[in-house]
Amino acid sequence: MFRIALKDLFARKRRLVTTGIAVVLGIAFLTGTQLLSVTLSDSIKSLVGDVYSGFDSVVRSPRTQETPFGQPIRTLVPDSLVDEVAGVDGVRAAAGVVESPGPQVVGDDGKVLGGGFGPPTLVYNWIDDDALRIGVLRDGRAPGADTEVVIDFRTAETLGKQLGDQVDIATTQDGVRAYTLVGISGLGDDGSQSTGARPLLFTTAEAQRLVNQPDQFNYVVAGATDGETQDQLAGRLSQALPEWQVLTGAAFTAESQEQISQFVGILEIFVSVFGWVALFVAIFIIYNTFSIIITQRTRETALLRAVGATRRQVVVATLVEAVVVGLIAAVLGLLAGLALAALLLVLLSGFFTIASTTPGLTPGVVLLAVGIGVGVTVLSAVIPAIRSSKIPPVAAIGEVSLDRSGISTSRKVWGALLIIGGIALIGTGLAQVGPNPLFQVGGGAVAILISVAVILGPLLAAPVSRVLSAPFAAGGRVAGRLAGENAARSPKRTAATAAALTIGVTLVTLIAVVASSIKASADDAINQSVRADFVVATASLTSFGAIPPGSAEAIRDTPGVAEVSPVRFTLLRLLDPVGVAEASSTPTTTVPAGQLGAPPDAPVGQDDFALGIDPATWFDVVDAGELQGSPADLVAGTMAVDRKYASDRGWRLGDRIPVYFVATGVQQIEVAVIYDQPLGQAGIWLPLSTFEPNTLPLFNVDNQIFVTTEPGADTAQVQRDLDARFADLPTVQVQDLQEYVESQTGPINVFLGIVYGLLGLAIVIALIGIANTLSLSVLERTRELGLLRAVGMTQRQLKRTIRIEAGIIAIFGTLMGLVIGILFAIALTVAIAADNPGVLQFRLPVVQLLVIVVVAAGAGVVAALLPARRAARMDVLEAVSST
Amino acid sequence: MSTSTDPTATTGAAGALEAVKVYGEGDTEVRALDGVSVSFDRGRFTAIMGPSGSGKSTLMHCLAGLDRLSSGRVFIGDTFLDELNDARLTELRRDKVGFVFQAFNLIPTLSAAENITLPMDLAGRKPDQGWMDQIIGIVGLADRLSHRPSELSGGQQQRVAVARALASRPEIVFADEPTGNLDSRSGQEVLGFMRYAVSDLGQTIVMVTHDPNAAAYADRVVFLADGRIVDQMDQPNAERIIDSMKRLGS
Ligand SMILES: Nc1ncnc2c1ncn2[C@@H]1O[C@H](COP(=O)(O)OP(=O)(O)O)[C@@H](O)[C@H]1O
Ligand SMILES: [Mg+2]
Repeated sequence: MFRIALKDLFARKRRLVTTGIAVVLGIAFLTGTQLLSVTLSDSIKSLVGDVYSGFDSVVRSPRTQETPFGQPIRTLVPDSLVDEVAGVDGVRAAAGVVESPGPQVVGDDGKVLGGGFGPPTLVYNWIDDDALRIGVLRDGRAPGADTEVVIDFRTAETLGKQLGDQVDIATTQDGVRAYTLVGISGLGDDGSQSTGARPLLFTTAEAQRLVNQPDQFNYVVAGATDGETQDQLAGRLSQALPEWQVLTGAAFTAESQEQISQFVGILEIFVSVFGWVALFVAIFIIYNTFSIIITQRTRETALLRAVGATRRQVVVATLVEAVVVGLIAAVLGLLAGLALAALLLVLLSGFFTIASTTPGLTPGVVLLAVGIGVGVTVLSAVIPAIRSSKIPPVAAIGEVSLDRSGISTSRKVWGALLIIGGIALIGTGLAQVGPNPLFQVGGGAVAILISVAVILGPLLAAPVSRVLSAPFAAGGRVAGRLAGENAARSPKRTAATAAALTIGVTLVTLIAVVASSIKASADDAINQSVRADFVVATASLTSFGAIPPGSAEAIRDTPGVAEVSPVRFTLLRLLDPVGVAEASSTPTTTVPAGQLGAPPDAPVGQDDFALGIDPATWFDVVDAGELQGSPADLVAGTMAVDRKYASDRGWRLGDRIPVYFVATGVQQIEVAVIYDQPLGQAGIWLPLSTFEPNTLPLFNVDNQIFVTTEPGADTAQVQRDLDARFADLPTVQVQDLQEYVESQTGPINVFLGIVYGLLGLAIVIALIGIANTLSLSVLERTRELGLLRAVGMTQRQLKRTIRIEAGIIAIFGTLMGLVIGILFAIALTVAIAADNPGVLQFRLPVVQLLVIVVVAAGAGVVAALLPARRAARMDVLEAVSST
Repeated sequence: MSTSTDPTATTGAAGALEAVKVYGEGDTEVRALDGVSVSFDRGRFTAIMGPSGSGKSTLMHCLAGLDRLSSGRVFIGDTFLDELNDARLTELRRDKVGFVFQAFNLIPTLSAAENITLPMDLAGRKPDQGWMDQIIGIVGLADRLSHRPSELSGGQQQRVAVARALASRPEIVFADEPTGNLDSRSGQEVLGFMRYAVSDLGQTIVMVTHDPNAAAYADRVVFLADGRIVDQMDQPNAERIIDSMKRLGS
């Protein structure tokens, strides 16, 4: 029995490949990302270990603020702390460290190096003690003057700069400024390694000035005297300095490694989602292929049953076949995953030092691949296998029959249950009822997608196929007519084939619709509420805080400019009852062993963004709608709040709200103004008089400057003047309102690009499925196609017929995906809008959706090329005389 | 009477000249046709008979442009098929030839009416409605036209097949054991219809059969054995055919 199954399998090698390819791709993605992330986080961990290897102890502030970017913000320490640390027993040397983003390196083309993306550019101060300094000096000397800089070898190579050359650096304080390159550094014992980040080393005074923190450090490091262990030193320090947090060097390194691992972990989850999507799609394809094969083998199976094979043997034979397909696919997928990981590692090694570009294969990954490969294949083949065992022996003498059975009652029941269950899950998930809303929404979506393949699809396949074929069949054209009928003849097969495509299209549609809704809402919000004609903004998210002080005053002097209002932004933590209740779900970073002294002092609360505004001018550059209270009330210790935001939290005018600032701790902030029309950024606006004293220097810089022009002013001329003013600052852009809208929604496009690319994979897999089904169908219809050719169908007409059939299946799958995707998107926007009215409005990206349909249909036709060619090349006589 | 040198060969509706068809090579070589020259007159109903394996189907396939000869020539009307490429051959089958196979004659997804007009639809031509009505009336399918093949009996299916073969008024209709799968009554209906198509509608039909009763419907019977024409008979009847078959020792 096994021999029969295997012989049959290898007799159809091509089918083996097409069936398995979906699994291969899925596994390649899953294992590839796993292998990549393992190697990547190993490399990064060893590099981070190198960065801080000379630290025996770190003394820092216990006061932090979580950020959405992974790393918390921490309050600075005064430079007096360096001497206090140095005075403690066991300390060989102590130094204050400046470690902050801010300035950017500018290339010869006048643009920011790296375009503001990728690993950060960080400012450090030069520390004379070799063990306490970050990096090794490879060449040259320490910066001796405030106009000198040491940069890492990789940045020097990229810039093509030698010692003695001038390096342009865009600073917040005085625009682009040239520094003399006096030294080149690197990580590791010999300075040959790089984390990808760009460390810039300045004199301590210059470093502090550049990042706007005079006389302050980010933390203080200490080296131990001989014989003193890290633990001993940390113990001594925490006793001497109880108000500060003390870490051993090892703990400090572990903490940084942990943060990076978390980031790599998120990346891994993000990418493996696509592996899972591919596998989910694969299930449909394998199920479909096995179903078709088993139907086609009806006679053979019946004969086996007639000569004495038991039902069990029939099932087992099919499952053995599935196991073999799964195994082969798993091995190929693993190899492809290795190749993928290796390729990505080679690409990444251009950015930072990677220990080895050969991904290390772990037994865990091999098990994962084999387990999933075999599991998915066998799971998909179970139902067809059971069905095959129900073939009665008498079928051996009957005519080979197609599976044209209707949709059974049990199928209908299951399908209906899945739909209802799915809707219920999504509903409760979106309404935040139940244990795990995210999981509920995901599970509900999967249930609905399966029900589409199981019941909705088969019900719709025949009528929709006929409707879709109508334009091709118009005027009695047979190819179109036959194609429509062929797609309609076995609705279950057509539906299952189309379902694979439906999944990909559903996801793409959902994301496209939600993204366009977000964009449209942002667009509307900005257009409605921003009165400014221009916004002076930083060029990218990472060149954060790059508008030099004094810019607002300078802009005000530009002819034609009416009003100028700068905006800053920061993070704060709300400690009101709602904030405290919400906070329970916010994760806190783990405290590693080796951390002593004052514990983290941030109270439990909800993190949110806040804007810093100038109340005197702000309400002239934005239209905040009706105001309760007056801008004049916005004095130190007060804030303005969005009406909806306030009412959700039960805040009223005059209420004093406890707010935690990382720089100053808990403050009571009074609600002085409630405004009606949100700007779409942050619900809380702090007047600069509240903002400045409570915010770290890093954030105490203008992030955007809103500019209005005088009535009748030549706006084009104003823009030229403003452009000229910031011409030498590549980190700053002068945007008109449209450009501003685009820059606000720009990150969505980047995200969309990645998602589309990866979902394209799901669609490619679906197309392989269509090709597979068509090949099998063509084989099955040999006799019929032969007859058509005999009575005069040309090869071209035959190919056309098969192409149209593929197109119909593809469009059917795409349309289902479109409808479901749009429904999902509606559900999502409704849920979001229920929480935040006016924040998100539903907007269909019609053009994009049309493109999706056309691309999917076109791709379906491409999928038909091979089966069509094979069908056309078929020998007519053989086909006619085949049974 | 020798048919192999018939000088009027090219004047028939279709025919073969010194047709040879060899399958396989060396030891396994089979000469399915071994120098067949035959011509089928216009407006006549010809039956091809012979023992199993004698080359009847091969001859018919080659005549109909479904297969190619190893040597020799076949023609339909004034066209020699050996000179045509696949596309032209397909067009010729579509426009000049009608087919009836033993079984599986119809496209399951198309209605009876659509099956009948299929060759013309493929050619993008409008069927001649008067002619269509006439044929459909005779085969007695007027009330079955919208049915799918699976909803028709075997006899009805074969009648639809014959109607399709005749629908485009082809030069010639080939039928390979069209009644082989039918009970005798249904078979007679189909044969009667073919007879009528020749006698009253002026069609030309060539039919392969091994049933003497079926062959008796024909105007002429050609006997094949081992890939050669061994005998022929005009105005046959079942008894004479059986006699002849006995004489040929099959
Ligand atoms: N495709 C083929 N390959 C090899 N031999 C064949 C093929 N088709 C027919 N033959 C052989 O050619 C001879 C004639 O076959 P056929 O024309 O089908 O006979 P008939 O229809 O009279 O029974 C037989 O010996 C048959 O085995
Ligand atoms: Mg035969």
